[in-house]
Amino acid sequence: MNMVANTGGAGLRSILVRYGFLIIIAAFFAFFALYTSSFLNGSNLLNIVEGSSILLILALGMTLVVALGGIDLSVGIAFDMGAAFAIVAMKEYELAWYVAVLIGIGGGALVGLLNAFLVVRLAVSPFLATLGTFFIGSSVQRVFTNGGGPISHRRVPTEYRNLAIGDVYGIPSEVIISAVVLIGYYVFLERSIFGKRIHAIGLQQSAAVVAGIKVRSYIAIGFVLAAATCAIGGIIGSANLRMFTPLAGFSYLLDAIAAVFIGASMHPRGRPNVPGTLVGVLFLGMVANGLNLMGLDFNTKDALSGLILVGALAIAVAQRKLR
Amino acid sequence: MTTSRPHAASLVSKSAMVGYLPLVIFVALLGYLSIASSNFLTPATFDLILRQAVPTIIICMGLSVVVMAGGDDVVSGGIDLSIPATAVLSAAIIAQQVTNQGTPLAAALVMALGAAVLVGAVNAILVVRIGMTPLLATLATSVAVVGIIKVVTSSRRINVNDPTIVWLRDGTIAGVSVSVVSTFLLFLILFFVAHRTRWGLNLQAVGGSREAAEVSGISARKFVAQSFIVASLTGGLAAMFVLARGSGSTPGTEENLLLEMVLATFLGAAFSPRRVVTLWGAVLGAVLVSALSIGFKSIGVNVFWTGCIKGALILVVVASASLSTRVASRGRAA
Repeated sequence: MNMVANTGGAGLRSILVRYGFLIIIAAFFAFFALYTSSFLNGSNLLNIVEGSSILLILALGMTLVVALGGIDLSVGIAFDMGAAFAIVAMKEYELAWYVAVLIGIGGGALVGLLNAFLVVRLAVSPFLATLGTFFIGSSVQRVFTNGGGPISHRRVPTEYRNLAIGDVYGIPSEVIISAVVLIGYYVFLERSIFGKRIHAIGLQQSAAVVAGIKVRSYIAIGFVLAAATCAIGGIIGSANLRMFTPLAGFSYLLDAIAAVFIGASMHPRGRPNVPGTLVGVLFLGMVANGLNLMGLDFNTKDALSGLILVGALAIAVAQRKLR
Repeated sequence: MTTSRPHAASLVSKSAMVGYLPLVIFVALLGYLSIASSNFLTPATFDLILRQAVPTIIICMGLSVVVMAGGDDVVSGGIDLSIPATAVLSAAIIAQQVTNQGTPLAAALVMALGAAVLVGAVNAILVVRIGMTPLLATLATSVAVVGIIKVVTSSRRINVNDPTIVWLRDGTIAGVSVSVVSTFLLFLILFFVAHRTRWGLNLQAVGGSREAAEVSGISARKFVAQSFIVASLTGGLAAMFVLARGSGSTPGTEENLLLEMVLATFLGAAFSPRRVVTLWGAVLGAVLVSALSIGFKSIGVNVFWTGCIKGALILVVVASASLSTRVASRGRAA
């Protein structure tokens, strides 16, 4: 709609504004396809999708919080708690795998409850509240694992293990789980009255209050829901390695934030949105995969992906400002 | 109006009480530590606290300059989360050059400061030119810088036994540690620049009210950009003391430095009468945080708990600050 209205004078400019980031994605795709021989294989493209599924789950949780006008720096802690609670439930208490999954999600939700309490009851800004939660959560994990040793559980039930490595008709179960979460978030955030209210709160909180939306409950539920979602990611991660690795969730934090902002840059009004987040996640997954195939050493790869992240965020934000 | 005054006054004093809560907690903790540990209140411990605090003090002063220019709102105002990573990057460069390449320390320091300025310039461009929020921009550069640190050091520890670095660690001037003296000098310089020069006053005007500053002909963008450069330079200088404190560069130092920087700066704001970030407050906050770390260590608290305690303290400090302004604004409304 906007496009049609704008095409009068600046056709090229409006195309750049709307699709600038897609052009960059295409450029990276072409580069990797030409530079490495195996990038375009069907199995490698499936690798990218499978490798992105955990990040997608965390990024969807982040999308919800950012849509509410906040930010969540503790998504990694919720991820870790999901893994820790589920693994300990099976290892120490020998509970069934589905009970362990529920306990893991509950453990992640606790992190969201703490955030919600701090933001809604104590009026701390989401940034500082979740930063504090991050520090506390990291420290608690170090205390209970004597400085960060993993808790491994070699004899996890097969069903639990299959959450990560199983497949249904050849589709990896990680992809199926993340697709279910994706559809759930799409319906909830983009197609329901709750999503409309959430976007209203994020756009202008005071107006949302006047409009009679229960802003405080929405923010509280948003933090809890986001943390519970991240815990699902942690459960898949722990099922894959058959262990809980302390502080493993931190590596997803900036990628999740970047995916949300890349996605927002593609929205006509610059709002965080579920399809955009999916594109952002796939872009980051593609870059990580491509750098791997180029055979760079671990440290160089880390530095390069950090620099690409800064560049991608800068372009995403600049593009939103051009509008 | 007159009838409502006593009510308003009681609300204001209530807000003041909530605002002083973090100070009360800190004094109580320090009091407890000095009772629990017999050698906590000795000059030797005090010297140790100050020396341990030096890197944090220096980067806190840098952060204060950014907050002065950008305003003190955490989300939209000025903040620079990349100073700790910049400090560790500069330390890594110096260590790598001096120990592995045999470069003279002065030349290595110049290279390190150059890298620091580069990080500051990237922050400035991202914030001023592109319009990213400082929070997002500096968080992103911080992650990129940590990646570069890994390339510089190959994720290994590098020892440094350059005589100047050792002197910074062990030397004394008139009985006071060299690092403490040089930090004090740096504080005096920054204090003079921020409060007694035209540049500093304009900087504070920009942070106080951007619109008002623009109307009176001060370019806010210029000052915000320069504040990021100054902050990254303090990171580069702090690198020398990071090296001295650790006798070399260790990957991963930046996380604890970030925790202490944020805690000290916001704690410092709780000291100021108007609840704003000041150079004085930042220094005082950094010293108190260091005192707590050393105090807990001296009574044998598991070192992994200290991160938890500091995280909880950050939350207490910021929660009481926001609650006290909320109570105060309710008082004003009445």
